[in-house]
Amino acid sequence: MTTIRPFTCEDMLKFNNVNLDPLTETYGLSFYTQYLAHWPEYFQVVEAPSGEIMGYIMGKAEGHGENWHGHVTALTVGPEYRRLGLAATLMNILEDVSEKKKAYFVDLFVRVSNKVAINMYRNLGYIVYRTVLEYYSGDPDEDAYDMRKACSRDVNKKSVIPVIHPVRPEDVD
Amino acid sequence: MAVRPQHMHDGGIVERRLRPIYDWLDNGNNKKALQEAEKVLKKSPLLQAARALKALALFRLGKASEAHVVLEALADEKPSDDTTLQAMTISYRESQQLHKVCMLYENAVKTEQSSEELHSHLFMSYVRVGDYRSQQRAAMSLYKFAPKNPYYFWAVMSIVLQAKTSEDNTKRGILLALAQRMVDNFISENKMEAEQEARLYIMILELQEKWEDILKFIESPLYSQLVPGNTAQACIPYLKKLGEWKRLNIVCKELLWDNQDRWDYYVPYFDSVFHLIEENEEDSESAIDNSAEKCHEFICSLVESMTSGRTLRGPYLARLELWKRLAVDGDPTSLIGSGLALCVQYLRVFANKPCAVPDLRPYLGMIPQKEREENCREFLTCLGFDENSEPESADDIQRHVSCLSAWRLVAAPLPADGALALATTLRGHYLRCLKKGLITSTITEFCAADAYGILAAHHYYYAGVLQQSSAPVVDALCLLELVLHHSPANFHAKLLLVKLYHLLGNALAADSIYQRLEVKHIQLVSLGWLHCARLAPACVASRALQLLADTRAFLKHHGKDSVEHLTYAYKYGTFEKLVELGAWGARLEACAWGAAAAREQALLSQLAGPPTLLHQPTRLPLTAYDNRDLNVIVNYEPPQFQDDQLKSRTFDQEVTYLRLKDALVSAIALCIELADSRPVEEKKGHYEQLNTCVDAFSAAMDKCRQLYCEKERISISAPFPSRIIAFVNSPVPYRELYATALRLVGALGVARAPAAHDACSAATRLLPRAQQLLQTELTFKGDPVWSMRDCLESLSNYLEFIGIITFLLGVCNELFSPANTKKSKKKTSHSPDELKTSELLNELNQTVQNSIGFLENILDEWPKYEFANNLDENFAKLTLDDKYQSPVESKLKNGRDDMLTDVRNILKRKSKYLKTLLQ
Repeated sequence: MTTIRPFTCEDMLKFNNVNLDPLTETYGLSFYTQYLAHWPEYFQVVEAPSGEIMGYIMGKAEGHGENWHGHVTALTVGPEYRRLGLAATLMNILEDVSEKKKAYFVDLFVRVSNKVAINMYRNLGYIVYRTVLEYYSGDPDEDAYDMRKACSRDVNKKSVIPVIHPVRPEDVD
Repeated sequence: MAVRPQHMHDGGIVERRLRPIYDWLDNGNNKKALQEAEKVLKKSPLLQAARALKALALFRLGKASEAHVVLEALADEKPSDDTTLQAMTISYRESQQLHKVCMLYENAVKTEQSSEELHSHLFMSYVRVGDYRSQQRAAMSLYKFAPKNPYYFWAVMSIVLQAKTSEDNTKRGILLALAQRMVDNFISENKMEAEQEARLYIMILELQEKWEDILKFIESPLYSQLVPGNTAQACIPYLKKLGEWKRLNIVCKELLWDNQDRWDYYVPYFDSVFHLIEENEEDSESAIDNSAEKCHEFICSLVESMTSGRTLRGPYLARLELWKRLAVDGDPTSLIGSGLALCVQYLRVFANKPCAVPDLRPYLGMIPQKEREENCREFLTCLGFDENSEPESADDIQRHVSCLSAWRLVAAPLPADGALALATTLRGHYLRCLKKGLITSTITEFCAADAYGILAAHHYYYAGVLQQSSAPVVDALCLLELVLHHSPANFHAKLLLVKLYHLLGNALAADSIYQRLEVKHIQLVSLGWLHCARLAPACVASRALQLLADTRAFLKHHGKDSVEHLTYAYKYGTFEKLVELGAWGARLEACAWGAAAAREQALLSQLAGPPTLLHQPTRLPLTAYDNRDLNVIVNYEPPQFQDDQLKSRTFDQEVTYLRLKDALVSAIALCIELADSRPVEEKKGHYEQLNTCVDAFSAAMDKCRQLYCEKERISISAPFPSRIIAFVNSPVPYRELYATALRLVGALGVARAPAAHDACSAATRLLPRAQQLLQTELTFKGDPVWSMRDCLESLSNYLEFIGIITFLLGVCNELFSPANTKKSKKKTSHSPDELKTSELLNELNQTVQNSIGFLENILDEWPKYEFANNLDENFAKLTLDDKYQSPVESKLKNGRDDMLTDVRNILKRKSKYLKTLLQ
C-alpha cells in the first residue's frame, strides 16, 4: 500500500522514522538539495496512507561514453516497512529512469558486512563488480562492494564483467 | 567553498603566480594567502586577480573595511576577467552584499559584450538577489547570441516567477500569457527538447488554471516523447480539477488493475466514486463505479485477483478506506460488514508484518468507542493468542506483538494497577525471549521481540502518570536500557528513554541516550523539541548552550547556502524544484525553533555563558514556521486520546513564548544601547523604545496568564507542556521583576534619578518576596522525583532572572561609574542623588546576592533519586547476563549531581561578579 512520488524538501522534516536507523546516513542539507536540483527524477519516496514515509531512494546519472550510468546514492526503508518489497520497487524506478536516460548500467556501493542488502541486490540481478578497499571510513574502515546491473543499452553486458582485483576508493571513477 | 575557479583560462604566468594564493585560501590559511598576494602585487601591482584575492583574504581575516577599500577600487575599474570576477563574487557573497555582484557583472558584460559566460554569471547574480525582471532581461540577451534552449527557458521561468509574486491580477495574467506564448512558439517550431521544459509548460498552464489544455498537452505525442512513462497517471490531478469523475473513475480502475498496491491511485478512485454517488445518475450498467456496491465489488475483485505469491495490503486497506468514507454519513455494515470485523480481518492477514499496526491505526478510530472497547479482545485473540501466549518463532512473535499492540490501541485505558500488571506480563515476555535466545537483533537491525519491551514501557508510563509516581517510570527505564543493550539499533527505545529521563527531570541522563541517536543537520530542527528545548528548563544550561549553538550554526550555514541551490536548479533546468527550493529556503529562514533558539541562546548566555555582550538576533519572522516532527515517537493510546489540535496548539504556545522572550532580549539590547556615553538628550529615543518594550512585555505576560491558565495533559509522544505555562502561571512575579529591573536601567540611562531610585527600591523589595514565592513553588509534594521536572523548570525560570538582573546590574555599573571616573585619582564629589543611587544599587546588589545564597540553600536540600527498596530486586530480575549492569540508577544519580554542580558553579560566578560591582 504505497504512494510513490518525488521526494520534496519538506520530506526532510519527517524522514526521522527512517533516518534514525543507524545504517541510514543523515547528510548535510545541501547534499539533498543538490540532488533535488540536479536529478529530481532519481529522488523518489514511498509513503504510507497515513502520510508516514516508508522509504526513499536517491540517485544520479553520471559518467562518459560507455561509463554513462545510473548510480544509487542512498536507498533506505524504515524498519516497520521492511520485507514488503519496497526496496525493489524503488530500485525498479531508478532502473527505469536510467533506461530512459540510455545508461549502460546501474551501480551502487554497499558495505561488505551488509548481508541483507547484498542478498537483496543479488536477487534484483546485481553482481559484485569489484571490491573497493576501505571505502567506508570508521573504526575500522570497511570495504565496499561495487555492485552492478547492466541496462538494455549494454547489449553485450560488457559493464558487468567482474574485476578480480580490488581497487582503492581514489581509483573509482 | 573552494575559491579556485573550475576553469583557469590563462595557463601561463598569471595562473602560476596566483596558484599559491588559491592554495592558502582553500586550506583556510588566510594570513599566508594575504602575504602571498602582497608578494605577487609587489611584482605586478595592478594585477586585478591578485587584488581581488587579497581582498578576499582580508575579509576572511576579519578586516572587512580594508577589504572593502580594495574591492571598491577594483569595482571602479570594471574588471571583466573571470578570475577577478569570481574572487570578488566570493567576497561579496561572504559579506552578504549580493547586489554588488550584479553591478560587477553588469559592467563586465558592457566590456565583453559577447561573452556567454559573463552573461550567464550576470543572470545567476540576479537569481541570488531574486530580481526576476533583470533575470528575464539577462536570459533573453543571452539567448539572442547563444540560442540554446536552457537560456530561453531561464527567461520563461523568470517571467513565471514575476507572475507568481505579482499581487496585481491583471499583470499576473499578462505575464503568464506571455510565458505561455513563448513556450507555444517554441512548441510550434519543434524546438522543445527536455522533460523539465514540458513540466515548466504545465506549471504555466496550472497557474492559469487551464486544466483542459494541460490534459491535451499530456495526451500529445510531444509529451510522451519528452516525458516517457505513464501518461494516465499524469492526467489524474487535472481530471480531478475538471470534475471529470467518470473519466477519472475509468483511468484509476485501469491503473489499479495493474498496480493493486498504489494508494495514490486508490485515493482519486474513491474521490471519483463518491462524487458519482452524489451526482446520482442512472447508469447502472456501465463500467463506471458510481455506487458503494459497485465500488465494493471492484475492490473485492482486486482481492480475488491476487492469486500467486505475495498478498498485497492495498486491496485490503482499500476496503477499510471505503468503510471509513461511507461511515461519514451512514452505517456501511449492511453492505460490507462491520468495521471492527474488517480491521480484525486485516490484522489476521498481515499480523506477521511490522507494518500491520501502523497500517491499521488510521482506521481504528472509525469503530465506535463502545463497540471497540467491548470487542477489543478480538484483536488479541484473532490468531489464537492471548496476553499470556508464549510464541517461539520470530514470525509468531511478530504476530503476537501485532495482536497485543492492536488490542491496546482499541481497549479502554487500564487503571494504574491494571497497567502495571500488564506491563509486568509484557516485561516477562521480553525476558523470556531473552532467556530463550529469541532476541535476534543485530547491531544494525532490531527485532520483533523488542516490541514487548516497548509496549511494557508504555504501560509502566501510564501507571506512573496515573499514580503520579516515578517508580513505574524507573521500571520502564530499566527495561528500555536492557532492550537497547541487546538491540542497539532500536531507535524507538532510544526516543522513549530520552523522553522518560526528561519526564523525571534528568536531562543529562536523557543526553546520554540522545547522543546515541546521532541527531544532526536538519534533524536539529525537526527534533529540537525532543531534547534541546528541554535542557534549559531542566537547569543544564551549559549543555543547552552547546546544542543551541549547533542548531544556530546549522541554520546560519543554510541561510548562506540556500541561494546557491537556486542557481543549481537553473543550471540543471529543474524548474519545478526551483520553486520548491525557494519555498524551502524561506521556511527554514522563518523557522520558529530557529528564532527561539537564537533568543534562548542570547538569554542563557547571560546566565551561563562566558561574559560577552548580548547579540540581538535578527528580527522575528512575520509568520513563523512549525518545522517540528511530532510523529517520531510511537503512541499506543486509544483513538479517543488522539489530540488533533496538539500540533497547532503547542505551536501557538511556543510562538507566544518566543514573542515574550523576544521582547526580553530586545529590552536588554536597548538597555545596553542606553549604557553608552552619549549625552542624555540623544538617548531619549532608545529610552522611549525601552519603555514601550517593557509595557508590551508586561501586557503580554498578563494576557498569557489568562490564555494559558490550564494545565496541559502530558503525553508520551508529544512535547512536554510549553514553557510558557509554567512561566506565566508562576507565583513568582516575573512580570514585575523583569519590568522593574529593565526600568531601572532605562531611568539611569537617561539620568532620571527619582525614577531610578524608585525602580531600584522596588526591585530590592520585590526579591525577598519572590524568594518566598519560589519556595512555595518548589515544594515537592508526594513523590519528589515525580515533581522533579516541574520543580527544575520553576527553578530555571528564577535562575534565568538572576542571570539577567546580574547582567543588568553590570550595565548599571557602567552607567553610573564609567571606567574613566573610576580610574581618576581625584576624588570626584558626588551629588546627593548620585550618592543615593550608589547606595540603592549596592542594596539591590546585596539582595541579589542574598537571593543567590537562598538558591544555594535550596540546591543543598535538592531531593535525591531515592528509589523504593524493590529497585534492586527489579535489577535482579532484569540481570540475566552477569556482565550486564543496569545503568539507570547511576545515570539518574550522576545526572542530578552534575546538574547541581553546574548550577552551583554558575551561581558562584554570578556572586563573585556581583561583589566586584559593589561600590
